[in-house]
Amino acid sequence: MTTETFDKQFTLRNARDMSVTISERGAALVSWWAPDRYGKVADVLLGYPDAIAYRHNSVYFGAVIGRWANRIAHGRFELDGKPMQAAVNDRGHHLHGGDDGFHRARWQATASKQAVSLRLASPDGDAGFPGNVDVQVQYRLDDEGALSIEYEAVCDAPTPINLSAHPYFNLNGGTADVGDHMIQIDADNYMETDQGGIPVGVADVAGTPFDFRQPAAIGPRLGWPDAQIRLAGGFDHCYCLGDAAMGRAGPLREVARVYDPGSGRTLQVSTTEAGLQFYTGNYLDGVQGRAVRPYARHDGFCLEAHAYPDQLNGEHAAAVILRPGQVYRQTTVYRLAVQGA
Amino acid sequence: MLMPKSHRIALLFNANKIFDREVIAGVAAYLSGTRSSWDLFLEEDFRLRLPGIEDWQGDGVIADFDDPAVAAALARSRIPVVAVGGSYENVESYPSNVPYVATDNFKLVKLAYDHLIEGGLRHFALFSLPEAQENRWAQERENAFRSLMRRDRIDGEVFRGQGTSAPSWDEAVQQQIKWLHSLPKPVGIIAVTDARARQLMQACMIAGIEVPEQVALIGIDNDPLARMLTRIPLSSVIQGAQEMGRAAAHLLDRMLHGAQLSDTRILVPPAGINVLASSKHEAVKHPHVMRARHFIRQYACQGIKTGQVADYVGISRSSLESYFRQELGCSVHDEILRFRLDSATAILGRGDCNLADVALSCGFTSSQYMHSVFKREFGCTPRAYQERTLKGLPEPARNPHFQDAEPITDDD
Repeated sequence: MTTETFDKQFTLRNARDMSVTISERGAALVSWWAPDRYGKVADVLLGYPDAIAYRHNSVYFGAVIGRWANRIAHGRFELDGKPMQAAVNDRGHHLHGGDDGFHRARWQATASKQAVSLRLASPDGDAGFPGNVDVQVQYRLDDEGALSIEYEAVCDAPTPINLSAHPYFNLNGGTADVGDHMIQIDADNYMETDQGGIPVGVADVAGTPFDFRQPAAIGPRLGWPDAQIRLAGGFDHCYCLGDAAMGRAGPLREVARVYDPGSGRTLQVSTTEAGLQFYTGNYLDGVQGRAVRPYARHDGFCLEAHAYPDQLNGEHAAAVILRPGQVYRQTTVYRLAVQGA
Repeated sequence: MLMPKSHRIALLFNANKIFDREVIAGVAAYLSGTRSSWDLFLEEDFRLRLPGIEDWQGDGVIADFDDPAVAAALARSRIPVVAVGGSYENVESYPSNVPYVATDNFKLVKLAYDHLIEGGLRHFALFSLPEAQENRWAQERENAFRSLMRRDRIDGEVFRGQGTSAPSWDEAVQQQIKWLHSLPKPVGIIAVTDARARQLMQACMIAGIEVPEQVALIGIDNDPLARMLTRIPLSSVIQGAQEMGRAAAHLLDRMLHGAQLSDTRILVPPAGINVLASSKHEAVKHPHVMRARHFIRQYACQGIKTGQVADYVGISRSSLESYFRQELGCSVHDEILRFRLDSATAILGRGDCNLADVALSCGFTSSQYMHSVFKREFGCTPRAYQERTLKGLPEPARNPHFQDAEPITDDD
C-alpha cells in the first residue's frame, strides 16, 4: 500500500526554477525549491521525510490551520450571547483548530498548471465549533516567485472562522538555523502574552527586541534580556499590522521581509489580515524532519497571517464571526527572490 | 506630562571609521524610538580621548573595547558600562564583568569565504594587518580564516603586510605585488577591511593582475568611501553595526533601570553582502577575453570603443571580436553596453536623478541612446525601470536574445 493512494501531492513550477509541492493532507505546503543568488536550488521549507507523516503533523508543518488559527483562552467564547466550548489542546487552551483540526484533514484537490485548489467540508460540531463550513484554499505560483494563498469559506450557521498557513521557512535551505536571517516587520505594536501564549495586552515595540521596523538579525534579538522572549523561549507573538481597522481584514499589502545574507534569498510577506504571528520554532527540538539530524530549536521561522489571537474574547470578536450568506475571504502572498545575484 | 529622567551618556568611539559611525547610528535609532532621554557626550571630532574619563560625572558609558586602553580605563567604572567590539574565539579574551555586544568575526569571514567558493574558486588567501593590540579583530579574522581552511583541508595563505605610512608606501606596494604573484591563480582573497582590500586592488592594477579573473577580492565593512576609490566596484561584507548599537543602547537602558547584565554577551552576525564586480569570478575564459573584460570593466563608463579594447589587449579588432563570439556569444560592443547598463541600473535604483547625467556618467553618448538600449534590453524606458525597482518590484527580465537583437549603433 502506498501513501500515494491516500494523500496526493501536487507540484507547481515557474520560470524562475522554483517548484512548490502541496499535499492533500492538511492542504499542506510540503516543499518549496528555490534558487539562491548563485542559482543553486534548495528547499526553503521544513517538513517531514514522507507523505504519511503529514497525517499527524504535531508541529503543523506547512498546513492550513482552521477553523481557528492561534489560541482561544480555555477554548471558551460567547457566540450571540451563548457560551461555547472549543477543543482544548495546548496548556488548557484551544490552539490551531484542536488536535484534529484542518491540518490533519484530507482535502479534495484539483490542480491546473499554475494553481492547486483544495476543498474541505467541516461538519457541524467540528472541534466544538457550530455549523457546517465549506472551505476552499487556492495556491498559485507566478513567474515572479510569488506564491499566493487565497482562502474562502461559507457556513450554514454562525461560527468563528480564522484561517492561516503555517509554513516553516529556512531561507538557507537548512545549512544553519535561522539566527542570521534579517527580518523586518512593519508593525508598531505587538501582543504580550502570558505563559499559556494568551495575549494580555498590546505593547509598543519601541525599545524592545520586538522592534523590527528596521531589519535586524533574529539570533541576537533572542539574546536580549526580555521577559516576553524568556517566557515563550523565543518569539511566538502576534504583531498588530498597521492600515487594518482593528481586528479586521483590509486590503492586501506587504507587511514583512526576511533576508538571508548567505544565500541571498529574500522572502516578502503580504496579507489582508490584521495580525502576523512571528514564531521562531521554539518547540522544534527533536522533531524528525527531512534532514539527517532531527530539527533543533530555531531551525525555522513562521510568519502566520491571521486575526488576533483570542480575538473572540476581545472587543473585536464580531469581526471574526462568519454568518450564513456571508463569504469569509483572506489572501496571503509569500514571495521568494534573491538579492545580490 | 511627566518627562522621563534624562541620563548623561558618553559614547567612546573613534567615529572616523564607518563601523563606529554605524554603531552610533544604531544607538541614535534606538533612542529615537523610545522615551529614554539621553544627553550624549561625544568628542567634537567624534574621536576617542581617554584622559580624565574616570572623573567624568555621568550616568553611563557605551565604549569601543577593541582598544585595550579603553577597557583598562573603564575597568573600575562605578557607572554602568556596555562594551562593543569584536568577537573572540577564546571566551577568556572577553573583558570580565561587563556586558559585551560583538560583531561575529567568524561569521564575517565565513560569509566572504562561502561567497568566493560559490564563484568556483579553489585557492584562497587572507590579507590582514600587522599584529597590534588595537586590531585584535584582525587576528580573530585570521583565526576564523585558518579554521575554515583546516575544516576544508585547503592551504590558505595569510599575509599581514605592512602598516601604511608615506615613507614605506612604495615598499609596501611592492611587497603586496610580490605576494600576489606568489599565489596560485585564480585566487579568492578576503581582506580584513575594505581599506585593506582597496590597497590590494590598487596593487593588482599596478601589477596588471586581472580582477576578478585572476584575483577575486572581497572586503569587510561595505565602506562607501573605499568603493568610490576603486575603479572596479569592490564587493564587501556588511557588518551588523547598527544592530550592535541598538543592542548596546538597550542593554545600557536596562542597566540604568537597575538590571544586572554583566554576563550578557550578544554576538551580531553580518547584515548582508554587497556583491559587486571585484568578486564576481567566473570559470576561466580565454586570456584575451579576460584581459579585454578587465579593461572594459574599468573604462566602460568613460566612453571607450571596441578599437581601444583591442589596442589594450594587443590584437586586431577582428580577432578580438571572434574570441568574444566564441567565448561569450556576443560582440565587444555588447559587453561594453552591458556594463554601462549595469552602472545605469545601479544609479537608477538609488532614486531621484537626472537621466542625461546618468547617461553621461555611464558612458552613453546621449540620453536618447540610453533610452533605446533600455527599450531593447528591458522592454521599458529608464524611468519605467526606475519606478519599478523603487517600488520593490522584480527587475524586468532582460531580453535573452540580446546578442541576436537588431543592433543599435552609436558612433562606435
